[in-house]
Amino acid sequence: MNPQSLISSFHPANNPDTLASHERAEIDASTRFPVLLFFASAIFWLLIGSLLGLISAWKMTHPGLFDQMAWLTFGRLRPAHLNTVIYGWASAAGIGVGVWLMARLCRVPLLHSKLLISAAIFWNLGVLVGVMGILAGDSRSIEWLEFPGYATPILFIAYAFIGIWAIIMFRFRRPGHVYVSQWYLFAAFLWFPWLYATANILLVWQPIQGSAQGAVNWWFAHNVLGLWFTPIGLASAYYMIPKVIGRPIHSYYLSILGFWSLALFYSWNGMHHLIGGPFPAWMVSASVVASIMMFIPVVTVAINHHMTMRGHFGALKWSPTLRFTVFGAMTYTVVSLQGSSMAIPSLNTLTHFTDYTIGHAHLGLYGFFSMMMFGAMYYIVPRLTGWEWPSANAIRWHFWLVAVGILLMVVSLSIGGILQGLAQFDPQVSFRSSLDYATPFRWIRGLSGFLLLGGHVVFAALFTLMLLKVGRQKEGPALFAAPVKPEAAPL
Amino acid sequence: MIAGYLLLIGGLIFLSGSALAAFYWAVKDGQLENLPEASLVIFDDDEPVGTATDRFPSSQ
Amino acid sequence: MNKLPLLFLGVFITFASSWLGLVAYPYLTLGNMQPLPDEDTGGYFPPSQSGLAVAGQRVYAANGCVYCHSQQVRLAPLSTDIAKGLGPRQTVARDYLRAQPVFLGTMRTGPDLTNIGARQPDQNWHHKHLYEPQTVTDWSIMPSFRYLYKMQKIQGQPSADAIQGLAGPHAPAPGFEVVPSDDAKALVAYLISLKRNYPLPESPEPPAN
Repeated sequence: MNPQSLISSFHPANNPDTLASHERAEIDASTRFPVLLFFASAIFWLLIGSLLGLISAWKMTHPGLFDQMAWLTFGRLRPAHLNTVIYGWASAAGIGVGVWLMARLCRVPLLHSKLLISAAIFWNLGVLVGVMGILAGDSRSIEWLEFPGYATPILFIAYAFIGIWAIIMFRFRRPGHVYVSQWYLFAAFLWFPWLYATANILLVWQPIQGSAQGAVNWWFAHNVLGLWFTPIGLASAYYMIPKVIGRPIHSYYLSILGFWSLALFYSWNGMHHLIGGPFPAWMVSASVVASIMMFIPVVTVAINHHMTMRGHFGALKWSPTLRFTVFGAMTYTVVSLQGSSMAIPSLNTLTHFTDYTIGHAHLGLYGFFSMMMFGAMYYIVPRLTGWEWPSANAIRWHFWLVAVGILLMVVSLSIGGILQGLAQFDPQVSFRSSLDYATPFRWIRGLSGFLLLGGHVVFAALFTLMLLKVGRQKEGPALFAAPVKPEAAPL
Repeated sequence: MIAGYLLLIGGLIFLSGSALAAFYWAVKDGQLENLPEASLVIFDDDEPVGTATDRFPSSQ
Repeated sequence: MNKLPLLFLGVFITFASSWLGLVAYPYLTLGNMQPLPDEDTGGYFPPSQSGLAVAGQRVYAANGCVYCHSQQVRLAPLSTDIAKGLGPRQTVARDYLRAQPVFLGTMRTGPDLTNIGARQPDQNWHHKHLYEPQTVTDWSIMPSFRYLYKMQKIQGQPSADAIQGLAGPHAPAPGFEVVPSDDAKALVAYLISLKRNYPLPESPEPPAN
């Protein structure tokens, strides 16, 4: 390409953004190994993490459960669960989805897949070493950063590889419009390694003194939510929803506004985890303000998705991807508004230190992010394996098990948490009462864990069958055939 | 201690600088003009606007 | 877009501010805080900890105590921590100077431990509680930490370390005793050192209502 046409080729009008179907298939095929590797890793850790979470949940109502051994004590199992699902499942799934989306949106076949494969290997190694370290008693006991100092550099190398890969892909993408999902992904892949490194240096490798740790801890943890998971989840939603129903985003302007306001306000939120704590009042107040400001990006996303879907909600019947994605998108709105409300000091009085916070955390990371990832994986995997999902019923089982599971968990923990909070606030009420109020709801939470684990087992089975190309013999997935008007399907 | 300062100031410059640079580039490159056209980039000739691209696998 | 330079300035300031506020400021101010001298005893507030208590912090971290127990006393009216007897005053940044890491905690599945050393100063009580929490508090959901202890045959005289008054299903049979491991001793030393009831000028005790 001579320099003259290179420069003019940057102008959007000069380049067709569309792909021919064989080009698209080629791009999908180029992502096959790295993406499936990340997905397989993610699903493996999902199963482990769900099991660790289930046992931890039941230990709260049955403290004698597995209490003989040090490595199974609640104080180690619970952070093992947290780190497995955050770094093992959610992050790996997010990277897999992000890589596929980046390739599609850059409109070039995947470059440097070896970089990604190395990243996946380091990733899994880091998570394995980290989780074993926690169970062995080397947990740092810093929330979201419990991995011992010998595991975190391994993860950091993986993150760095992915950040570098994203830069290369973006640099050599086909010129033209940069779709909103790409903005989100690029931001996530670039910022996260830096976030991770900073937090680890200041808290794990060269710890800073005193309560400054709390501020940095929650600056990190909350930014992981808002600058790593949220952008990947939204990137997926902004692609999957219009792509599945065949209709562009209602207001592209709103989506751009949403991205930039998220980027600007999000990083101030962290201190709302420590309202009332030993910090200068202005820091906490600023976080409360930022938490309220989050209304802007959250409402723009909600309006956008809703208006795009309007008139097409029937599509939820025949598209697995849409079902999970829309569940995730609606939950994003709910959990974000809930989060903003929890930052208001008078409400925070009731929810701080209670199970309500745990319900909120699961609503965000599971109800929003994990459901979003399931939706994306249902779309992506057939396009990588060239095969259809073997059983529509199994997909429905997966959906209903986990949808009911997460709703049950969140509702029970929220009610229990409020009652706990009311008891904790009342000086006339003993601590024992706060426990007694919470207990029946912890039982329900424990039962919901079985539903979630069940759904994950179904999903893992489906994924394995896809990898093995088991199922009805077909020329290929119906998805690659000429567009067909979708017929009504059972719920 | 020095490492802390370098990290903080360096990180500050990195985070805000990269966002700034990105926004600057976006405006310069014309990314923020013609937004309705931008929303159409994900559609192709064989997956055009109006066509659904996902469904439950059919049961026989 | 003529307002571009102004827009960029706005973007830069917003980004920079979160960094400055949440990372740089704590690092530079809270991170550099010094203990206050105590004229009466010649020591410092917060008081320095014994080596065993410092080792106990590692045991506290290794076993994840922070996931059920917080260590912060908040002020009224947004909380009733002081009215509930969690401490005589609000805890402030200086109280956590010697903590590594800082166990502020975000859950009260179990009681707050800011001043547990003042509420329960007896070593044996702590060992009994860690060994079998339900024998001390029958409604407790705290798991047993008996893996930090050793059941051994009494050799001649009972050991000076042996826990007194164990009752429950894991109580030692006659002729046996339960002694704490080094980790258990360190942990209990740490717990007994948790007393943030010394005076600090930046956190005066609120008047009793």
